[in-house]
Amino acid sequence: MKRNRGKALAFIFVSVLALVWMVPIIMMLVVSFMPPDQRAPRFGGLLISGVSLQNYVTVFEDAEIVTHFVNSVAVTVPSVVLVVVISSLAAFALARLKFFARDIWFYLLIMTLMLPIPTLVVPIFQINKALGLNDSYLGLILPYTALGVPFAIVILRSFFAGFLREIEEAAILDGCTPFGIYWRIMMPVSWPAVAVVIIWQFMTSWNEFILALVTMNSVEVKPLTLVPLVYSGQFMMRPGPMFAILTLITLPVILVYYLMQRFMVSGLTAGAVRG
Amino acid sequence: MTRKWLIDNQGLFFMAPAMILFVVFVLYPILYIFNASMYDWDGINQAIYVGVQNYIEMFTDDRSFALSIRNSIYWTFLTIFPQMFLGFILAYILTSGVPLQNAFRVIFFMPAIISPVVLGIIWQRIYAPFGGLLADLAWETGARFLMQPYLSDPKIAIFSTIFVNVWQWTGFSMLMYVAGLQGLPGEVLSAAQVDGAGALQRIRYIVVPMLRHVHLTLILLGVIGTLQTFALVYMLTKGGPNHATEMLPTYIFLKAFPLQSMGYASAVAVVLLVIALGASIFQVSVLGSRFTIGN
Repeated sequence: MKRNRGKALAFIFVSVLALVWMVPIIMMLVVSFMPPDQRAPRFGGLLISGVSLQNYVTVFEDAEIVTHFVNSVAVTVPSVVLVVVISSLAAFALARLKFFARDIWFYLLIMTLMLPIPTLVVPIFQINKALGLNDSYLGLILPYTALGVPFAIVILRSFFAGFLREIEEAAILDGCTPFGIYWRIMMPVSWPAVAVVIIWQFMTSWNEFILALVTMNSVEVKPLTLVPLVYSGQFMMRPGPMFAILTLITLPVILVYYLMQRFMVSGLTAGAVRG
Repeated sequence: MTRKWLIDNQGLFFMAPAMILFVVFVLYPILYIFNASMYDWDGINQAIYVGVQNYIEMFTDDRSFALSIRNSIYWTFLTIFPQMFLGFILAYILTSGVPLQNAFRVIFFMPAIISPVVLGIIWQRIYAPFGGLLADLAWETGARFLMQPYLSDPKIAIFSTIFVNVWQWTGFSMLMYVAGLQGLPGEVLSAAQVDGAGALQRIRYIVVPMLRHVHLTLILLGVIGTLQTFALVYMLTKGGPNHATEMLPTYIFLKAFPLQSMGYASAVAVVLLVIALGASIFQVSVLGSRFTIGN
């Protein structure tokens, strides 16, 4: 009896809090559907006079949103693929092979995790300038990959370290090379850890801001995160189209998260248990 | 390099792509900022060697730099501990079998995956003095204390900004605690219950101490997150009013790009780097190194 009452109170507490928590996100959606004839939304946008898709039409007509979307995909997808490939190879070596200066490499890579990206913004800008990569996708793909690899290695390495030695030894007796062990034995069953890496890298590349801000100067190559700045003048007095843009930026990450979220807790736990 | 050595060290081939990226985009940039910090340089013309002059100026005669250090300290304490506290309570409730617990977890975690650029613009409308959510609420309900110059008063602006950050990242703390709580051995808890320990006692003496590695991970990630903060501040206040919400990253950006002072910006970046590495080495060596997501 007492227990049920506690549970009911807890349920009410999280329900109320969840409603409050959602207000900014609900606001983003509501304002994006605001009819264009309404001058200003009341309650910062929680009350609108009707529902209209006009803002989305405006955005697609005036804001080249498709181009920016393609730019974001063109930067994010290659960086995710590269991070998965590069970090899984390295994590396999770090977990399963012996080689020269292994531990030193591991600690150097881990140090990168502690590195705030803004410390690197000046040199990366200059490196890209020297290589002619400013205003090109590669100018973001390469640094995003380099900065994403260490976290991915940490996740994958602890996952790979949990495999039984015997399976590996049996494979070696059958003539399997280290690459074969990596590719045929470990990778096919490592998808929970790979899923965490994919979500994480997708989110960080998709949302990354400071490097994109200094690397992409021409409007036609800017990814979605820079779009609110590009159109802030044009849509300054019109929250409707601006919030439609915000919604369009947010949808892909929510979709990826929704598809992958069931792996998230199990992936994080896997790392914890093996630690 | 003999053939045998290469076969014994095959791991190096697996490591090579990661090593190359690390050298080009991490190691070289670190050396680069140390070097650049010794110059007076606009990024285009010939740089002039000035030795440690940039550092002397930064520490003796730079109010914005001092403000960004002060703000980083505020930010560290006022985000990490509220996030951990609330995140733990939520995780505890949402692993106890309340209805819809997975849906609640998704809701609380959602802000963490949304771009701070997007959140910055939304929160500007929440804080806006005219037509903003809080101002309208104050107007309609008579709760006048809600009407504040949230982003325009230099005394309040940093706290308004920190509040948004706490809202964004509490769900992440929650998720880490959920993972930690699910990894706890159930026998210990039921044994304590049999011995007559109440719910609060179980939390205080068993659950909280056993989640030590989660606390440490969250503190470490919180410090790194604080030192990374750029997009949210840039969108909400651009570091203003009058540098009142300046953080080290926004200050680096301001100096390097709008103000074209790459040498000075590099010196600030060196300070940020030293703080970041110092903080993590301190935490790992003093508090212990067992991370939830590491080993």
